[in-house]
Amino acid sequence: MIEIDDLHKRYGDKAALDGVTFSVRPGEMFGFVGANGAGKTTTMRILMGVLTADSGSVRRDGKALTFDDRRRFGYMPEERGLYQKMKVAEQVEYFGRLSGLTASGAKKATGDLLERLSLTERANDTVDALSLGNQQRVQLAVALVHDPEALVLDEPFSGLDPLAVDSLAEVLAERRAAGVPVIFSSHQLDLVERLCDSVGIISSGRMVASGTVEELRDREGRGLLRVVVRGASPGWAASLPGEVVEKDDEVLVAGVDGDGQEILRLAVNAGKVEHFGWQRPTLTEIFREAVA
Amino acid sequence: MNGLWLVARREIVTRGRTKAFIIGLVVSAVLVAALAFLPKLFSGPDSYTVGLAGAQSQALRPALTGAAGDVELTVREFPDEAGASAAITAGDIDAAVVDGRRVLADGEVGRELGLLLESANQATQTQRQLSEAGLDPAKVTEAMRVAPLEHFSIGADTRYSSLRTGIASLLVMVLFFLLIFSSMYVAMGVVEEKGSRIVEILLTSVRPWQLLGGKIVGLGALALVNLVVIIVAGLGSTVVTGLAADLPPGMTGIVLSALFWFVLGYAFFSAMAAALGSLVSRHEDANSVLTPMTMLMTVTYLVAYFAAIQPSSSIARILSLVPPFSSMVMPVRMAGGEVLAWEIALAAVLMLLATVGILMLGARVYSRAVLRTGARVKLSEAVR
Repeated sequence: MIEIDDLHKRYGDKAALDGVTFSVRPGEMFGFVGANGAGKTTTMRILMGVLTADSGSVRRDGKALTFDDRRRFGYMPEERGLYQKMKVAEQVEYFGRLSGLTASGAKKATGDLLERLSLTERANDTVDALSLGNQQRVQLAVALVHDPEALVLDEPFSGLDPLAVDSLAEVLAERRAAGVPVIFSSHQLDLVERLCDSVGIISSGRMVASGTVEELRDREGRGLLRVVVRGASPGWAASLPGEVVEKDDEVLVAGVDGDGQEILRLAVNAGKVEHFGWQRPTLTEIFREAVA
Repeated sequence: MNGLWLVARREIVTRGRTKAFIIGLVVSAVLVAALAFLPKLFSGPDSYTVGLAGAQSQALRPALTGAAGDVELTVREFPDEAGASAAITAGDIDAAVVDGRRVLADGEVGRELGLLLESANQATQTQRQLSEAGLDPAKVTEAMRVAPLEHFSIGADTRYSSLRTGIASLLVMVLFFLLIFSSMYVAMGVVEEKGSRIVEILLTSVRPWQLLGGKIVGLGALALVNLVVIIVAGLGSTVVTGLAADLPPGMTGIVLSALFWFVLGYAFFSAMAAALGSLVSRHEDANSVLTPMTMLMTVTYLVAYFAAIQPSSSIARILSLVPPFSSMVMPVRMAGGEVLAWEIALAAVLMLLATVGILMLGARVYSRAVLRTGARVKLSEAVR
């Protein structure tokens, strides 16, 4: 389990991180969301040791992360970096070797990975001859080549076309299935909602919400009922307890106390109940609410 | 340590394969080899052809061939002045003696050939006049056989001084260009990695000192290869031209000391280049941030050039001990003349200490500045 515990980081007068805390279990995919400048990249850079926190700690299974631990992590920084004049396969192999693979191990892992990412044909091209999408794949290959024990990816999906998004999602799901904790940041909330087991929302250097997607939706959806009644006389809902918004047959009731059984009874009396349930917000709605 | 070698290997493989490196290697070798040919082209020939015209000139022949010594002298006979003049104009002979009295040449007669003709004339005339005065020709010849003076030097051996100066000046140029180019490559590599943020991935797998050290070692190995190629090309061409026989003694020592001092100088300047390079994120800013290094290197070059011409001046002697000037001045002094052993030892120790110091300082600046992208990092902030 990777634990980020109470990270603080200041740049001059500005607090970039103000007590960031979350944890990611093995085999868990953690989506890290927040507005630009909220502190995602700073947190990930501290996690990877390329930046030091003013206070707080990053641990794995209770022990502070060391350089050797991080060497076996896979990292994709926000600003992509590759040697433009170096050949694709050589470059991926080089990073594999730096992370501790043997020469033959790195060669084999590179071959497999390029195959997996449909880059085999470009193996002997220099990076600057590749399209941006393909450069992004090479960047991913660099992060994955040493079969990392954890993945830390800053905006891995940005700039990818829908097909590339799918294949990247597939690769990440494989790693998760292999028991690797995966942390990635993204602005594409629908994607995070679809892929992630848990989500952390950061705003101005503070974690404003975190937990599994279900937990967040339950928590944020608590107190909002959606009721659809056919054949009810208009205005039936006006007397319901709470804030009521009525639109055709659909009624939204906010600020409901208790279990809502009282409202269900009233609805049954009013007509034919087609839908009755707590309204679960999308991640986007939760996000808007949380950072507002 | 493994990380350092991997980084060094990448530098050697990727840089060594570039056209720029290979062309540089070939051009520098050809240039130095050509320079070694120059003395052969500019110094006069060691062989002369002299014409003798008229019966009286023939008497000079024995004295001429006798005085020639090392010089290769061919004597040709002409029936009259007109024939000799024609041969001079055609370039077949260098000079001609007419009637034992006048020397004809196209322009001035070279100093060596002039002396040769004078001494042959002196001997022949003296012999003739003594014989005419009634002395026995055999005895005269006997009396005129004189052993030449033997030469001894009680000071430094100056026989090779001009050649040594030539070698030293050549060495200054070669060392300067290799130092400045390879240090620049180190700085550019650092800026490239910082600017493209590759360094952020690299530093999750290798320590800053491994990355810095690997870059310095890798590019240094290439520069050393270049230096060895230049030396081999230079010495090889002296063998081809026959100049090798004239090289001063102790060439092996000169070559080895050049390699030794190059390694120290390179370590010093490249560490400086890397530290300064790590302060900026863009290639456009690299030149201005590297100015202190290029200035120091240029001053070192000028001082070393002066030392090549005046190897025993007190400025050269003092600066050959002071790092980083010693990295170029000392090998140049050693090539240009005699240097005392204690001077070499002291200069080496001081330069080693300075190099270790600048490597440590450079690594400190580098590791603090290389991840701080964006605006240029102030050197004072990075050192603190």
